[in-house]
Amino acid sequence: MAEKIKAYLLELCCVYTIMSVLGAIVNIIAGTETNNINVLVMFATCAIATFVLFLHRLFDSVSPLVMIVVQYLVACALVGLLLWLVSVFISPITPRGWFEFYRSFTIPYIFLAGFYYFRVFSEAKKQNKLIQEIQEKHDAR
Amino acid sequence: MKLNLYEDKNNTSEHVDVYYANMRPVIRQIIDTVNSERPSLQGRPADEDLDDGEEILLDPREIYYLDHIDRKLFAYTKNGVFRLMNTLAACEDMLWNYGFVRVSKSNLINIYKIKQLKPDLNMKVYASFDNGERICINRSYKKSFNEYLQRMRRMS
Repeated sequence: MAEKIKAYLLELCCVYTIMSVLGAIVNIIAGTETNNINVLVMFATCAIATFVLFLHRLFDSVSPLVMIVVQYLVACALVGLLLWLVSVFISPITPRGWFEFYRSFTIPYIFLAGFYYFRVFSEAKKQNKLIQEIQEKHDAR
Repeated sequence: MKLNLYEDKNNTSEHVDVYYANMRPVIRQIIDTVNSERPSLQGRPADEDLDDGEEILLDPREIYYLDHIDRKLFAYTKNGVFRLMNTLAACEDMLWNYGFVRVSKSNLINIYKIKQLKPDLNMKVYASFDNGERICINRSYKKSFNEYLQRMRRMS
């Protein structure tokens, strides 16, 4: 368990560093500025995203499609909790704010899930070719 | 059985002498191994008791896959299912060079017998064999499976 937590924190550090640097680059290009709350929300979002992706390794026997759906539902629940905490302790969030936040992680999630789906099929195709090549060389000997 | 091994770095004609009383399966196995330079596995038909039934030598080339169920190891071939007395890890060590690769905690498959790799709609990838059976390639073994295929391609 301690090792898993350590691995999770390590991944979180990497993800947050990359996101901060990308955010800074976007801010420089767009000429915008961020504030402390945004930085904290970004960190919480990174923590949720890393945790959700981390679940992938824990349920090895479950099919990837089920895993993607479970991960999405967990992400929805954690994001809901995050937004509720922000609205209670920091500043109220309008229904439009809730919608925007959910949309901003649902779209890349669907895109990445589709990419993963495509990769499974394309990898199998490549491996099929590889197996065929190995078998042909083996039969020729 | 007594085993004598003699190491001689200058030996240019390596050879094996076998002294036996009866042509038992183990002797036949040694002969086959020396002749074919390929290991063979001892098994019994899976539907018979361990003490009964004739012991059969299995050529790895005939095996589709090995399955470990309830602490028992079974080899699936065109001619039937055979129970082996080895462990899956021992078979993996013995057969890695002969096309056998681990694809899950309990399965070792022969890549020379794979008819096709086919992903399901739920994204699980299955290896189908000539006998119509299929084995799931667990996603935690996906990377090592791919590395194994690359290595076998280089070796072949």
